[in-house]
Amino acid sequence: MTLEAFLFMIFIFAVCLGGFGYSLYLSSKNK
Amino acid sequence: MKKRELFASRWGIIFAGLGMAVGTGNIWRFPRIVSQQGGGAFLIPWILFLFLWSIPLLIIEISMGKKTRSGVIGSFGKIIGKNYAWMGTFVTFVTTAIMFYYSVVTGWCLKYFLATSFQGLIKKDSLEFWHSFTSSWEPALFHFAALGIGGFIIYKGVVKGIERANRILIPSLFILLIIACVRSLTLPSAFQGLNFLFSPNLARLADYEVWLNALSQSAWSTGAGWGLILTYAVYSHKKENPMLTSTTLGFGNNLASLLAAVAVIPTVFSYFSTQDFSHQKVLEVMKADNQGLTFIWIPNLFSKIPAGSFFLALFFLALSFAAFSSLISMMELDTRILMDAGFSRKKAIALICVCAFVLGFPSAISMGFFTNQDWVWSLGLMVSGFFFTIAVLKFGPKNFRQNIISTPGSKIRLKKWFDILVIFLLPLQFLAMLGWWFWKSYSGDPHNWFNIASSGSVGTVLFQWVIALGLFILLNKIIAKKMLSNKNDS
Repeated sequence: MTLEAFLFMIFIFAVCLGGFGYSLYLSSKNK
Repeated sequence: MKKRELFASRWGIIFAGLGMAVGTGNIWRFPRIVSQQGGGAFLIPWILFLFLWSIPLLIIEISMGKKTRSGVIGSFGKIIGKNYAWMGTFVTFVTTAIMFYYSVVTGWCLKYFLATSFQGLIKKDSLEFWHSFTSSWEPALFHFAALGIGGFIIYKGVVKGIERANRILIPSLFILLIIACVRSLTLPSAFQGLNFLFSPNLARLADYEVWLNALSQSAWSTGAGWGLILTYAVYSHKKENPMLTSTTLGFGNNLASLLAAVAVIPTVFSYFSTQDFSHQKVLEVMKADNQGLTFIWIPNLFSKIPAGSFFLALFFLALSFAAFSSLISMMELDTRILMDAGFSRKKAIALICVCAFVLGFPSAISMGFFTNQDWVWSLGLMVSGFFFTIAVLKFGPKNFRQNIISTPGSKIRLKKWFDILVIFLLPLQFLAMLGWWFWKSYSGDPHNWFNIASSGSVGTVLFQWVIALGLFILLNKIIAKKMLSNKNDS
């Protein structure tokens, strides 16, 4: 696996997982 | 008058919404499309359209359902006037027509899970098994079983049925996908697949097909414009924030798609690493249609890996969970509509199950009919999404944002960008998709593209759309009166 693909994978997962996690966190805070 | 049932907590609509969004499309369509469209580059517009099309439409739907406390038809009638309720009827019809054959697909998933677990599917010739299954009476039986299970879940009600089922199905689905990913990534040469999936070949972004496929995948996979999340929002609490729920569903859906791609694509690469390996060969497999990839290739792929039978059963169990969680949302959409018209939940579900069995039966016994219906009504979702945009445009985007979307006491508020998105970007995206589809159809088959009798033509799609739209406009007064005058609040 190339470094470029690895970094891109981290980026895509960070966006989706981060977005999902942050939305769930805000939901739990009931904002 | 019975008081309307609401989700037990805020998590209720989140689990139900994720169940609605994460369906078979995430598991069987996404890995196929991302491979066909060049891997990594496709992921950029796919994420972009989550923000430009899917999340805004989900926000619109949730806000309409929460504000009007009516199903899709009643919501359109209450927001933009009863003369336009036919738009809601069309949205309802498109999703219902999809439900008729989606139940057949759910039955296939169930059958394959059982066949893998108890009939040793992995040792059989998968192509022969698929043909003998689809040419028998079994798809009709499993179609019936899928509707029966779905009907039972929604009969139990919003909290004890839909919410409870999704609280089990969705976490289980994510766990199964993660297990499948771990298996896939521990196979020989799996990282070649990962490399293909995540190599951002930016030159591919110059190809408009990549953009349009990304838009269609995002729209159809998140369930934006189907009217499903609108229906669930009818049972949401007053404090429910449409923006927060929409982003949770959108990102959660994309995460499930990524996990499915990581589970499938490296497995395909690993399979071919022991044979005549080439990217071309891998693409050939991924170009097989949805059914071809899932029900013919996947059993083949898993047969070559250690503990393949166990992981194949796991894969079809995940697929069945995804299918059921989406099927119940489609059945609930119609149940809500019939309850708006004065039916009890019990009678509504009985009627829906009977109609869905009868009208889904041709798809269960004929692959030709199935393919035609899939083609006609999945494209109809494009129009459904546009009707939601028209509803906001007619109501006034600023007015809609301030009076329908806004949640009292919430710190998270939409800004002016939403108005710009609704006025310019949503209609532009709809026109681009429509224009692209017309042009592709015409250039691909200039003599046959408008032939009504041809199952995959523009003609057959427009013909069926026009009949449905004409009928709904003609009957609009009667339907709108029924939907808007009934006081059934349960």
